[in-house]
Amino acid sequence: MAGVLYGGGAAVSVGWHLGWFRAYNRCLMSAFSAREPRDQYSGDGKPAEAASGIADGTAAPDRYSRQVLFEPIGDAGQQRLLNSRVTLIGCGALGTVIASTLVRAGIGNVRICDRDYIEFNNLQRQVLFDEDDIARNLPKAVAAADKLRRINSGVAVEPLVTDVNIDNIERLVADADVILDGTDNFETRYLINDIAIKLGKPWVYGAVIGATGLVMPVIPGQTACLRCVFESAPPPEMSPTCDTAGVIGPAVNIVASLQCVAAIKILIGSSSEISSTLTNIDTWTGRLTQLNINPVRSDKPCPCCGQRNFEYLTGERTSSTTTLCGRNAVQIRPARSDAAKVDFDAIAAKLATVAREPVARSKFMIKADIGEYTITVFPDGRAIVKGTKLADEARSVYARYIGH
Amino acid sequence: MIYLDNASTTYPKPSTVLSAMERYMRECGVSPGRGGYSAANDAERMVADVRRKLTQLVSGSDPAHMVFTGSCTDALNLALHGVLREGDHVITTMLEHNSVSRPLETLRARGMITLTRVAFNSDGFIDPADIAAAITPQTRLIAVSHASNVIGTIQPVAEVGKIAAEHGAYYLLDAAQTVGVVDIDVAAWHVDLLAFPAHKELLGPPGLGALYVGSNVEIAAYRQGGTGADSAHPVQPDEWPAHLEAGTPNTVGIAGLAAALAALNPAKALAHIRTMLARFEEGVSEVERVRNVCPAPIDARVGTCALIIDGMDAEDVGAVLDESFDIAARAGLHCAPYTHRVLGTFPAGALRISPGPFTTAQEIDAAVNAIREVAASA
Repeated sequence: MAGVLYGGGAAVSVGWHLGWFRAYNRCLMSAFSAREPRDQYSGDGKPAEAASGIADGTAAPDRYSRQVLFEPIGDAGQQRLLNSRVTLIGCGALGTVIASTLVRAGIGNVRICDRDYIEFNNLQRQVLFDEDDIARNLPKAVAAADKLRRINSGVAVEPLVTDVNIDNIERLVADADVILDGTDNFETRYLINDIAIKLGKPWVYGAVIGATGLVMPVIPGQTACLRCVFESAPPPEMSPTCDTAGVIGPAVNIVASLQCVAAIKILIGSSSEISSTLTNIDTWTGRLTQLNINPVRSDKPCPCCGQRNFEYLTGERTSSTTTLCGRNAVQIRPARSDAAKVDFDAIAAKLATVAREPVARSKFMIKADIGEYTITVFPDGRAIVKGTKLADEARSVYARYIGH
Repeated sequence: MIYLDNASTTYPKPSTVLSAMERYMRECGVSPGRGGYSAANDAERMVADVRRKLTQLVSGSDPAHMVFTGSCTDALNLALHGVLREGDHVITTMLEHNSVSRPLETLRARGMITLTRVAFNSDGFIDPADIAAAITPQTRLIAVSHASNVIGTIQPVAEVGKIAAEHGAYYLLDAAQTVGVVDIDVAAWHVDLLAFPAHKELLGPPGLGALYVGSNVEIAAYRQGGTGADSAHPVQPDEWPAHLEAGTPNTVGIAGLAAALAALNPAKALAHIRTMLARFEEGVSEVERVRNVCPAPIDARVGTCALIIDGMDAEDVGAVLDESFDIAARAGLHCAPYTHRVLGTFPAGALRISPGPFTTAQEIDAAVNAIREVAASA
């Protein structure tokens, strides 16, 4: 763990290496650009053609050599990585680092699911994207796959521009050896947790906000699951989002890297080395704490891994959306509508950090103009998102600015 | 919950409707006619009886021409797609629901028909003279909503029928908002095609509608299938209603509708609904920021009105009424975009309040107080 936090290799002679690398890189890029037009990408999940020789890895036999030299991985571990399959849900800050790391490490099949498009405020931390992607208005999954195929054409990258929900999650993860969490909301994480426990599939939870983050590998039957730790999602006012509270790139990289370490361990068959632990990292102070979570709870069994009651997968606890009759507006009702009212003061303060105009407020509702949207939040946590008639887009806006 | 969305569907339904549906499913529950065994005969008798009663209700002459459909929308589509031909001209109004305007726009987009849409005046009524003026030699159909589903105004349908008859055009009346509360006379009004649902003011269940087709109308079936009789015939039989009814009918819905019809009292229901609507409109009339977008006289309307609160989006008002007051009312465009264009409430929409036969004065007063409180917060 300390290595991840503090190890960056020797600082000496960095300049010399950098110069050599740049020259090498220029040659490589020109070779690629001659064979593969920039605007060419396939959305069919197959590696882009071109770059033959390098594509099958044979021309770069030492691609994974440094990783193979690391004893816990070795040749056998590398072969397992090449034969494995992951599903990454969410390709934003955590997701791009995870995707980059896993594709470079030679995970043979990487499926990337994300519903969003790239915005300028993503570039500060979402390492696979650039200004050109924004100019081309690419979905995150497609832009990521485009880059990843150029990073490693020897693995299969499958971009899927999709919301992940109760109707499709089983299909998206059924053939995966491990599921990686790159999401920005609790609801999707609980959905991942449900399907993972149901299918007996490992997944790695990761979350980051500000300079802090959380990581927890979930191995069904071995470790605690997400609902053992957080039985239900915190209310929106208690859950800041990157869009309202900010986030720094280094924190993202560290959290995603720890997720990848867990994923690689799982994929090479070293799951038994993973303990039931929630890791909390404060990158600003450099403090890392690990909480041991007993997978067997003494008070009452976990509703998910204990009772196998998959309330998110069945839709009982998932939010619902209604496209409103008439204009561009979608109403989102969190499943917690029946519970206590949300804290209006906290929500108003949160929205005020991003709103274009002062937030309008009455005892019945809070209304804020954010970007191209107008969001009205009501006391039970429901919201009307104006500016879209797409449920997925409205969910995304809700997750970013209100949180669930 | 205070339910004020009866223009969408009436709620609750009489308990006799619910028990009739359950009884039917428990005690009969078979396909009518088909098979000829006793239960099938009982089902057939029940279906035929409802067909007859509905025909009487709208002053039709031939129950065989009362065709059961899946909904009022289904009935309207059957009429529009079944009657219209290449090159036809159609006259309709700005009051129509999308269940009329969308099929017509679809046919127009295909280049099959031309379309004239007449507006309504500031009181919410079309002028039959506008329809007469729009008639061309190609006019094959006049399609009119009996009452607006947004502002409730009852249209001069008898006069329009006269114009249609004089010019030999078919006359389609969308009675979604009126059947069960307003007397309908297809014979006197020269109505050739009458579409209506079971689940609104008839107080029947959803998933059931009907199209009454005049005996002189040439109408093609746009779907074919089993009719339970005449199975040797390779194509859809010409006999009514089998000509337009393919597949197993919604017998449990028809059983529910039978019970609803047994208790139906249109005059009493309309009087009650109008009393409730008047109480509501009077209650909110003095409330600052609240505007009734088309306050026509109560006795010229069915039970619905549309209002806006200045400074608030209609969707937000609807959500506040639901969230903070447990009042169900419909905000938006009510599937009637042309109506809202004329009213000046497009695209923002309005809040629609529609009391039903079971709405109480206390509920109306609670709704008035809620509107007052919400408007004060705007």
